[in-house]
Amino acid sequence: MMASVWQYILAGVVVGAIYALIAAGFVLIYQVTGLINFAQGEFAMIGAMTAASLAGAGMPTLAAAGIAVVAAAVTGALCYLLAIRPARAATGVTLIFITLGLDVALRGLGLFVWGTNPLSLNAFSGGTAVTIFGGVLPPQALWVLLTDVLVFGALYLFFRHTYTGTAVRAAVANPPIASTFGIPLRTFAFWSFVVAAAIGGLGGVVIAPITSATFDMGLTFGLAGFVAAVLGGLESLPGALVGGFVLGIIVKVAGGLLSTGWEDGVGFFILVLVLVLRPQGLLGRAVRRA
Amino acid sequence: MHGRIGLVLLVAVAAAVWVLPSYYTGLLTQIGLYALVTIGLNLFMGYAGQVSLGQAAFFGIGAYASAALAVKLHVTPWAGMLAGALLAAFVAYVLSFVALRLRENLLALATLALGIVINVVFNQWEFIGGSSGFKDIPGFTLGAYTFDQRAYAVLAWALLVLGLWFAGNLVRSSFGRSLVAISAGELGAQALGVDAERLKRQTFVLSAVYAGVAGAVYASQQSYIDPSSFDFLLSVNFVLMSVIGGIRSLSGAVVGAAAVVALKQMLQATVPLVLPGARGDFQSFFFGIILIAMLIYLPRGITGRFAEARRA
Repeated sequence: MMASVWQYILAGVVVGAIYALIAAGFVLIYQVTGLINFAQGEFAMIGAMTAASLAGAGMPTLAAAGIAVVAAAVTGALCYLLAIRPARAATGVTLIFITLGLDVALRGLGLFVWGTNPLSLNAFSGGTAVTIFGGVLPPQALWVLLTDVLVFGALYLFFRHTYTGTAVRAAVANPPIASTFGIPLRTFAFWSFVVAAAIGGLGGVVIAPITSATFDMGLTFGLAGFVAAVLGGLESLPGALVGGFVLGIIVKVAGGLLSTGWEDGVGFFILVLVLVLRPQGLLGRAVRRA
Repeated sequence: MHGRIGLVLLVAVAAAVWVLPSYYTGLLTQIGLYALVTIGLNLFMGYAGQVSLGQAAFFGIGAYASAALAVKLHVTPWAGMLAGALLAAFVAYVLSFVALRLRENLLALATLALGIVINVVFNQWEFIGGSSGFKDIPGFTLGAYTFDQRAYAVLAWALLVLGLWFAGNLVRSSFGRSLVAISAGELGAQALGVDAERLKRQTFVLSAVYAGVAGAVYASQQSYIDPSSFDFLLSVNFVLMSVIGGIRSLSGAVVGAAAVVALKQMLQATVPLVLPGARGDFQSFFFGIILIAMLIYLPRGITGRFAEARRA
């Protein structure tokens, strides 16, 4: 019993790492544009499906992975240019519906391009599974965790130690004033979509060898990323990281103990609880309401 | 006014079902039921300025309540319809304490999540059939007469006309004006003495009643339901109907439902000719594009467009 719970926890850490990546994308876009991008999970789908189909056609796995991340980033750029920017003047609910439209459009696109059959992708490397206290992690799980370290490390360095990163933080803190100092808000909005899409795509690519890739994986991953972002308070990258792992572990343990069919239900139940009890997220400080 | 147009529509539908092939009669029923759901959604989203991405769940609750009663306890679908509406209303009432504390982004997220949780419950609860749902759901009867597809079309549109009439009166009452005040600014509305929380809750519950009634009729008309009939894509379709027709419009709900149903038929007929491999819910690609295009170029929907033209 305890051994299987430990194994569920390890499995939760692995998917949690992916949720954290997708949550990071949400947080980036939300911080820079104030927009919740319901299409976020589809970037993971595009990444996973592109990599799996290219590798299936004979391309080396790492090359296919690289192209897949670029494909996801280009998709993100197109989403911003074709759907978000033309509707800048719109209000909150309209923008929600637009990203919802993007979500179903991308999912439909995935169905057109790749069909309904799941595609598989080889693990990035061979090697034997790692055993930790009797629980097993496949080699690909290490790639997943390494990806998280690299992505969150890079984001940290960018925001804390580069001039542009500081400018983005200024733009987030106070858009009008940042704008008067010549900070290009719209350019940042564009790049937030590109980077969020690339990170999401990368998440899809590294998880594909574990879960396989299907055209409809985006909704599940997108919503899980969402819940992770909300757990983390929606405005913090470290929060997204923690939220991803917390959610992954809870979902996998609950799914393992109940039945896997309940996984989505548990995830969203937690979302609702957090929204009601701690809208500032697990790590966030309560904001005094006026 | 809506009432009179509605009666004309009802007579037209009742006449049409005698000449149309039964396939098209089924589509008419579908339009009527979807429009009913969309009216409720428009009250909640268009008039009260809220957002719900989980309306398919209430449609599903209505369908499941009626189907479960009819299959397990042999209760007549007429009572099942009432039970479906009541159960949907009850669930919406309970959920409103959670959901309606949130705004815009988070409300969208919460309703989306609730819709999916309810779908998971449909899938996992073996008592209501689990993933295989209900088969052979008894139909509506009147005395010795069992409804055929023509009768369902008339029933659906009769309910639609009733729903339009009620909603039309509602939006012209002080209730409706208060809703519009809430959508313009909740604090401002409260300052004018509008009990925003209560009105939002009542509207949410009412939207669930519309969806629950439609769902109950749907279950008997299809005689078969499973959880995939009430998934996230259906909720998106309801939003699309609402946006196409015009979100703050009641007749728009009918226009939107008709447009989406017609569009879906057209796509299913034409796309496989161009792309023989196309299978599954590929319409969602076009629906997504259309949703985006509508919001960018025609944010007030088809009926909103006409209303502007009339004023100009």
